[in-house]
Amino acid sequence: MMEHTQYRLAIMADPHNADAELRAHREACDECRAFTEQLLKFESRLERAMRVDIPSKADVLPFARARPHAPSAPRRWLALAASVLLGAAIVGGVWLSLPQPSLAAAVVAHMAGEPGAWQRTEAVPQLELADVLKDSKLRLRPAAGIVSYASSCAFRGHQVPHLVVQSAAGPVTVMVLVHESARQVTPFASEGYRGTIVPVPGHGSIAVLMRDSGIGADEIQRIAAQVEAAIVWTG
Amino acid sequence: MNDAAGGKQRRARFQALCQSLRPDLLRFAFWLCRDRALAEDVVQESMLRAWKARDSLQDESAAKPWLLTIIRREYARTFERKRFATVDVDELIAKEEPLLAAAEEQDVSDVRAAIMKLPDEYREPLVLQVLMGYSTAEIARELELSAPAVLTRLFRARRQLRAACGVDTSQDPQE
Repeated sequence: MMEHTQYRLAIMADPHNADAELRAHREACDECRAFTEQLLKFESRLERAMRVDIPSKADVLPFARARPHAPSAPRRWLALAASVLLGAAIVGGVWLSLPQPSLAAAVVAHMAGEPGAWQRTEAVPQLELADVLKDSKLRLRPAAGIVSYASSCAFRGHQVPHLVVQSAAGPVTVMVLVHESARQVTPFASEGYRGTIVPVPGHGSIAVLMRDSGIGADEIQRIAAQVEAAIVWTG
Repeated sequence: MNDAAGGKQRRARFQALCQSLRPDLLRFAFWLCRDRALAEDVVQESMLRAWKARDSLQDESAAKPWLLTIIRREYARTFERKRFATVDVDELIAKEEPLLAAAEEQDVSDVRAAIMKLPDEYREPLVLQVLMGYSTAEIARELELSAPAVLTRLFRARRQLRAACGVDTSQDPQE
């Protein structure tokens, strides 16, 4: 049987360590469980502290300094206008396109199977959340918002994390689909839900959706980006 | 497709990749340098080096660790080139105060100041673990340390931070 000191040394070095022996000790020892909860609270502060604000316009792209022929002002404006129009056409066109993509349809269909997921508002205990996420090799930073529901669900032949995150715009369902690659951002609207599938290079995709209460496509994309940025891939 | 068009496409793809990873890269560089302006310079130079060495990136999903390694090396080179005088941490904290205090919560600002004061050998593995999601084995590989050495540094880093931030450490283990 592992000793308290051994457990605490290990868990302080890696508070999200999912080792079975550590877990068994935690489940059997009230003191170490309380110690871990306190440690995870501090970890949440630490994670928020490390996410310093990044200046939105800092130009750190590789060719920013070595651009040999800057386009003239009118050309620049034309190019910018064309980019904006093209972007709007793509987003608008995809958003309105019907029929729904099959992955999005499967995500929406999954919602019907878990109606209770939307009801909760209290935060899921961190250890419970870590258990749901560990098989998909990820952690969620506090910046994602309060996670009020977390379940490992069967979805198209795989177990996937199904989360509900409380955002300023209301509860948001997030499904982390490491086995589902997506070629592009795919907004969808179906059966009273609005959402988007976002490709995550090397990690499949995530689906983010909300009940359709007039929320705009931009807001859904913003929430999806916030959730994606809060994911830490651990494998 | 001709060479020029292919080159343009590769460049656009690389640029998009850098853009998507930019926030994490800048944060990593900031905690490495503890100086925002220097962090931006280091990331900028690193991106140019990465572009030149792009053929060595076989798998795009490995781009982030690949770029982080380049940033670490670039930072080391910068440090060597400029031969900085001894770092005065309080001065650094004062200089970066707007960034450190940007958080709405005081408790987060306190942790930021405490991270700034951590020795490099504790701060770097901690940032790789907490911010970048690296496993112990990945940190060990990146920093060329043994896994037990990494775990020791991570433990000490948290112990120092918790004490500096007023957390009750009476239940913390002794090494």
